[in-house]
Amino acid sequence: MAAPERFDVIVIGSGPAGQKAAIQAVKAGRRVALVERESGVGGECVRRGTIPSKTLRESAAAIARLRRGADIFDAKVGAGTELTRLLTRLDRVVNAHVSYMTDQMERNGVAVMKGRARFASPHVIEVEDVRGQVRSLVADLIAVATGSRPRTPPEIPVDHEFILDSDSILSLTYLPESLAILGAGVIACEYASIFALLGVQVTLIDKAERPLRFIDAELVERFVGSLTKNGGRFLGGHGIKEVAFDGVSRVTTRLANGETLSTEKVLVALGREAAVDGLNLEAAGLAPNARGIIDVDEHCRTVVPHIYAVGDVMGPPSLASAAMEQGRRAMCHALGLPPGAPAEMIPSGIYTVPEISSVGLSSEEAKRRGIPIIEGRARFDQVARGQISGIDDGLLKLIADARGRKLLGIHIVGDGATELVHVGQMAMFAGADIDVFIENIFNFPTLAEAYRVAALDVTEKRAALPVIQAA
Amino acid sequence: MSVGTSAAPAKSESASPSDSGLAVLTNAVEQLIVAGKLPVPLLPQVATQLLQATNDESTDAGRVAALIHRDPALAGQVLRIANSPSYQPRMPIVSLQQAVARLGLSVMREIAVSASFQNGVFKVPGFEKELAWMWRHALGTAAFAKEVARLRRLNVENAFLCGLLHRVGEPVLLQVAVNDAKRSGLVAASPALRGAILDLAARLAGRAGESIGTAWKLPPPVLAAMVHHAAPEAAGPHVQEAALTSVAAALARHTLDESAAAEPPPLDHPGFALLNLYPNEAMGLLARADSVRRLVESLTG
Repeated sequence: MAAPERFDVIVIGSGPAGQKAAIQAVKAGRRVALVERESGVGGECVRRGTIPSKTLRESAAAIARLRRGADIFDAKVGAGTELTRLLTRLDRVVNAHVSYMTDQMERNGVAVMKGRARFASPHVIEVEDVRGQVRSLVADLIAVATGSRPRTPPEIPVDHEFILDSDSILSLTYLPESLAILGAGVIACEYASIFALLGVQVTLIDKAERPLRFIDAELVERFVGSLTKNGGRFLGGHGIKEVAFDGVSRVTTRLANGETLSTEKVLVALGREAAVDGLNLEAAGLAPNARGIIDVDEHCRTVVPHIYAVGDVMGPPSLASAAMEQGRRAMCHALGLPPGAPAEMIPSGIYTVPEISSVGLSSEEAKRRGIPIIEGRARFDQVARGQISGIDDGLLKLIADARGRKLLGIHIVGDGATELVHVGQMAMFAGADIDVFIENIFNFPTLAEAYRVAALDVTEKRAALPVIQAA
Repeated sequence: MSVGTSAAPAKSESASPSDSGLAVLTNAVEQLIVAGKLPVPLLPQVATQLLQATNDESTDAGRVAALIHRDPALAGQVLRIANSPSYQPRMPIVSLQQAVARLGLSVMREIAVSASFQNGVFKVPGFEKELAWMWRHALGTAAFAKEVARLRRLNVENAFLCGLLHRVGEPVLLQVAVNDAKRSGLVAASPALRGAILDLAARLAGRAGESIGTAWKLPPPVLAAMVHHAAPEAAGPHVQEAALTSVAAALARHTLDESAAAEPPPLDHPGFALLNLYPNEAMGLLARADSVRRLVESLTG
């Protein structure tokens, strides 16, 4: 084999974390190789994750909007509808996204190499292309950004035809008549709400008593209410004993309590695991931990100082937004560049229907940590825009400190939640008081007015606080 | 004889290019395709309905069972296949209603279409052996296509149809060419003519497939696979389906064609690169050969 090609930085994986790491390094004047095993850049986020599922969600959200005008429109989609008809824009969206990212890499001089990477030693990476040809690369600095893949317990026989995972669910040709979804995390809940709106009989099953346990319980209650209203149901507190295709056309899910459920398809959404197979981490002096992820410090540096791990491969929060920032900051740290103030507030956006988004302290976390707070609430039907749009499942919650002044958290469920949350996030970032939402002018009519209503709720509660006289 | 890259059960000599009769025959068949006048065989009604019906809410199990009842040979085939080990029924399936209810529409679609072909949609006297091979190869391709689809997270049901129907143009062209040869006074039994007819059928199968697939209203990915499996890059948005069909056809040939057993496995097939399948993944597909053989045996029995 020829001598390894020398680069300053090798980035393995071209998803959100890998891209930002590569761009940061090349902008710092380094020679960068970006290795991607698929035929285009972008990672699972583009091909099987965020972008395809959100494109399908747009169809479901359109149906939700039409149903609010049920007096005028009769929006029905049901079993047998071709899924491709609901994903009409997907190819265009994916191609545009891949094209944009490819151009960005080329413009910045990143050497994109297609193939599977494996460590030959701590500094040498072998890249095998799809025809089996191998080339060697060597670099002073390496970032592992290989992402994650669906976690499938060995006892569940995923066949991608009747028992599917989040990578194969959108390969269905037709909407099934019924779908059991195992799990109650972000992916499970997003697909549950989408398929229920599309007319599929959805049953969401999990051993937890409620879905999305890291989200404010009041928001989750509204999500479950909406799912139920759309014909879905949540079976909480149920372990899965067995999932079996009957050999012909149905899948039987046997619960730990002995109940069985027969559905046309099953979606296994029991979390994701780091995609480290084939990386030969041992040759670099690395090993995944007991949870299968690569341990890193606060700078995303592994125990081998010149190797960083960014994005899903290092575990939660498994958000594309966080992964991008990890990639950028890790490379800044590795190259001795100032990364800027750390992002202490990472918003979470969940693309269920209705959307859910949060940033900062939640009521439950405050209670757990013994932090006294005041909550302010605004239902979307309390603001004109919510009434006009017929949004009856929206809620915005503000968390303020015990004096009702400092803004500590924002939690929103409802249309536009993932956009709306940024208004509050910026207020928190600027250290603004709750009163900033009362003293400033919002467009009318908008859902952002809910901030004012919630802030007024806080001010009313703080006005009722006992006055403490100075000694 | 040869049926192009999709292989044949036996070798024979090719036609002489100087034979003007053959040139006339070739020209006549090509003209039929260009003019859109290729006689497309009618599928049994149930097969046609099943190919088109998954998104038709009016198609229910009872209606499908009633349709199959009208074709006793097909009904017998469906029951036999539904009870075969490949479909693993827990209890013997004794009625069509039960078969349809238990198997579901998508599996019934596979069985009914398969059985329809076996029951003589295509009959070309003198070419029975070649037709039998084409059918076995198509079934093997369908089975491998499902495995490739699973690996690439593509639709498994469509993949089966892509494989099953990818060379359906060939028997149609055989029929047309043999009939035309007879009308022209050519002796269809001559080795040279047989070879020429088989070559012609293989060469024009994609174009014939387009006519047939359009007439049968097949889903766009299946139609694209029929037309473009020999050159998947031309399949536009369905390049993955065309490539998986191409790869599956090569794997099926290696698995089922005894004359190809001594040849190296088709691991350097260009379709693997189009599908972004790495050498170890291609090897993994080849390891499915035994289960593919079993499925083919159960469906051709």
